[in-house]
Formats: sequence, structure tokens, C-alpha cells
Amino acid sequence: MSRIIPIAVHTFKESVREKVLYSLVLFAILLMAAGILFGTISVGVNEIVLINLGLTAISVFGLLIAIFIGISLVWKELERRTIYNVLSRPVARWEFIIGKYLGLALTLLVNTAMMTAAFYIVLWWEMGRLGAGDLAPLEAIYFILLELALVVGLALLFSTISTPVLSAIFSFSLYLVGNLLDDLRDFGERSGSAAVGLLARGLALILPDFGAFSAISQAAHGQMIPAYRVLSNSLYALLYVTVLVSAAILIFEERELQ
Amino acid sequence: MSARPPIVVILTVALAGSVLLRGQIHRAALAAELEPVVYVRSGETLRRFSLGYEGLLADFYWTRAVQYFGRERLAGNSRFERLDALLRATVALDPHLLIAYRFGAIFLAEKPPAGAGRPDEALALIRRGIGANPGYWRLWQDLGFIYYWDLRDYRHAALAFEAGSRQPGAGVWMKTLAASVAAQGGELDTSRLLWTEVLREAGNDTIRRGALEHLGAIKAAQDITRINRALDLFCQQRGHPASQLKDLVQAGILAEQPTDPSGVPYVLGLDGKAALGPGSRINLDLAR
Repeated sequence: MSRIIPIAVHTFKESVREKVLYSLVLFAILLMAAGILFGTISVGVNEIVLINLGLTAISVFGLLIAIFIGISLVWKELERRTIYNVLSRPVARWEFIIGKYLGLALTLLVNTAMMTAAFYIVLWWEMGRLGAGDLAPLEAIYFILLELALVVGLALLFSTISTPVLSAIFSFSLYLVGNLLDDLRDFGERSGSAAVGLLARGLALILPDFGAFSAISQAAHGQMIPAYRVLSNSLYALLYVTVLVSAAILIFEERELQ
Repeated sequence: MSARPPIVVILTVALAGSVLLRGQIHRAALAAELEPVVYVRSGETLRRFSLGYEGLLADFYWTRAVQYFGRERLAGNSRFERLDALLRATVALDPHLLIAYRFGAIFLAEKPPAGAGRPDEALALIRRGIGANPGYWRLWQDLGFIYYWDLRDYRHAALAFEAGSRQPGAGVWMKTLAASVAAQGGELDTSRLLWTEVLREAGNDTIRRGALEHLGAIKAAQDITRINRALDLFCQQRGHPASQLKDLVQAGILAEQPTDPSGVPYVLGLDGKAALGPGSRINLDLAR
């Protein structure tokens, strides 16, 4: 652990030096503020629009940050050959990968916290008050963080085997598919073929289920998420991240560094 | 030789050209009067495209519905062909967006030119809302309202108010309303009760204004009935009809010259009956 933490801290510092990060966070905050204007051209949905737009901005920009920084996590080290400096020290490859993962996860946590603060300031500004009922978005934000943890895992995994462009395409494609798993299951059932049905069911079980983390709409209506869903999603994210990081470690362990 | 002067000339010409061209494009777009299009009507497809952001997409669709309704209404076009599709897409994306059911039903049910004049679509929308939000009693109130006001179906209106009154948190007056509609549907007093509750609960200026207009019309209709009775009495007492409404005041039948809710005095019509005065802002059709 004493060797993982410095790598994570270094990755965090490196990530926050990326100028694109600030642009994305700033743009997300501007988008949240634009929710005030959006509410005025509609009828009776000011608060709902603010919450939907704010949480969507947190999710989408978090996703962009996770993918665009995650895809170059390992690739950049290999390209710049700085990996040799790290691995020439008493640092195991698995420690390097875990450190990289935790560093980016920390970056996303800090960014999400900043965007959450901005979201609540905009909400307070527009509504003139914040009450206990406004806690519901926090649960949705927690789910967004779980979702981002999975995306970082995917980006890291692809970063160990591919170029940034391909990694971005793979990560984003899996994110799309992961939102359509129910449809994949339906497609298998409607296909009429036992083999296709089995394949679809199997894929729906194996691929990351991003649809499970969708709770923005509920938050916009002030509905709290049942405790069992919070627990099961947390456990699912933890297990899936473990799978992704383990796979990244296995690939990286086998990789020949020249 | 400096390259600056020709560059400045090119820049100026290009800028002027782009401004002129932009103006041309804008005029061409206005002339074409492009019809708004609802590209994706299937709620299920929209949900798939939304990737978990269906709440925001529903807000976009709702705003489009509101903007479309407002624009068509201002343009005097009372067909509102795409309104139902926009509303259905909205509630498919977010089945708990209550405002879309409640306002959407008003937009659909109101008679042209104020609305689409489609109470059937309004009923379907409200029923869908009740299915998705079974404990929300106000949708039953809206359902009863459409039956009462737009379809004049007092039996179904009473049943809807009665069903709504059994929902948790329902206003006590819903029971009274159900009984009143069942006993004397179509009476102005019942209509007044209905609109008074709408006004009392209105959380929006549009609804408040609409309720006030209806209450004004109901009050004027009741005033006219009362004045006509007074005119009959005058005729019986004096043996000839009144030549103006002031005669009723002078005869002591009315205490003062009656004015409508917009402050304009009533007048005696050519048929010898009371009528709204010139300049009155009351629309008596709303009370019918």
C-alpha cells in the first residue's frame, strides 16, 4: 500500500494538470447555470429541469473526463517511456495499475465534489432555499460516481492493450451497450433462437450494466432510492471494478516492455 | 509593400458578405415557415436513445410541447397537430412528470382556438397519468373536470371526482364536488364550485388567469339571470318594460346600476334582456 499511494497521488497531480479537465468542469458548471434560463421557457418544471440538467452535466462531463484521461493512463507512460523509471524501482506491475486506477478515481471524486457544490449553489440560487427534500440528488450523484468508477476501470483496461483512440472507442461503445442490456435481453428472447437467446442472456450478465446506475429522473422528483438498491449497486460496482482492474493487471503483467 | 491594406479590405468584404448572406438565409427560413417535426414518436425508442438521461430528454420534450402550443396559439392556428405526439413522448420518457399530464390535458381539451379541442386525447393522457401515478388524486380531479367541462358527461365526472376523493390526501371538497355534480351537473353553482377550487389550488399564473376568466363569466351569467328576473318584476309592477336598467334602480328593484366582473355596467339589449355592456372583457361563452 505504501507504494500504491504515491503512484495514486502522482496520477492525481498529473490529471489535475490537464487543462482540458478545467474546461470540462467549467463547461459543466455553465450548463448547470443555463438550467435557470431553460426553466423559464418551460412551464412548471423549474426545479425538475435544474436537477435533471445539473445531474446530467455531472454524469456526462464525468464520463468524458473518465474516458479521455483514463485511456491514456498507461499508454502515456509507455509512450514517454517513464514506465521504466517507475518499474525500475521496487514497484510491482499490479501496484502500478492499482495506483493509476486510484489516482484517476480520486480525480473524478474531487471533480464530482466540485460540480456537486456548484449544482447545489445553482439550486439554492434559483429556488431560494434548500431542504431535506433536496438530499435525493446526492443519492443519484453517488450512483454517478459508481458508474464513473466502472468507466475508469474500462478505460484503464483498454489503455493497457490499445492506443488512446481505440481505447476511447471501446470504452464508449461498452458504455452504450451497457445502457441497453435490457434491450439485448429482449432481443434474445424475441429472436426465436435458443442459441441467440442464450448468447444475449450471457452477454447481458457479463457486460457492465450501466442502466442500473440511472437514478437522475427519480432524484428530480425527490424520490429516495431504496436502501437495498444502494447496497446492491455498491456491491456490483465494487465487484465489477475488481474484475476490470484484475484483468488490466493480468494483461499488463504479460506485456513485454521494450 | 505591406500586406496589411489588402488583408483589411478582404476581411471587411468577407465580413459584409457573410452578414448579408446570413440575413438572406434568415429571411429564406422565415419564408419557408418550416413546420416543427416530431422525428421520434415512440417513447420506447426515445428511452433507448436517452442512455439513462431520460429525465432531461423529457424536460426538452415538455418544453417543446409548451413552445409549440404557445406558438400555434399566437399564430391563430388551432389545429395543434403535433401536440399529442409531443405530450405522449414526454410522459413516456418521464411517467412522473405530473405537470405534463395536467397542463397537457388542458392544452388538448380546451375548445379551439384556445386549445386543440381534443378531449378524447386529453382523457387518454390523464388516464395514462393515473396508471403511472395511482396515488395522485389531482389527476382524478382533472379527469372529472374534462368530463364535466369539455364533454358535459356529468355521470362520469361525478364518478371521477368520487374516485379521486378516495385517494390519500384528497381535498375534502372532492366529495362535495362529486355529490354536487351527480345531483345538479350543468348548474352554474356547480361550475362555480369547480372553478373556485381550481383557482384556490392554482400554482401557476396561466391556470389562475383561466380560472378567473371562467369565474367572471359564471358570475356574469348569474347576474344576467338575476337582472332579467328584475326586469320581469318591473314589467309586472309598471305594466310596461323598462327602457333602461337605471329604471330598475329608480323603481327600487335594484340597489344600484349593476356592473359585470370586469367593471363595465350591464346594458339593456334590443331584445329587452340584460346584456354585457360595450367594452366588457367578459366572455360569456366560457359559462356555457
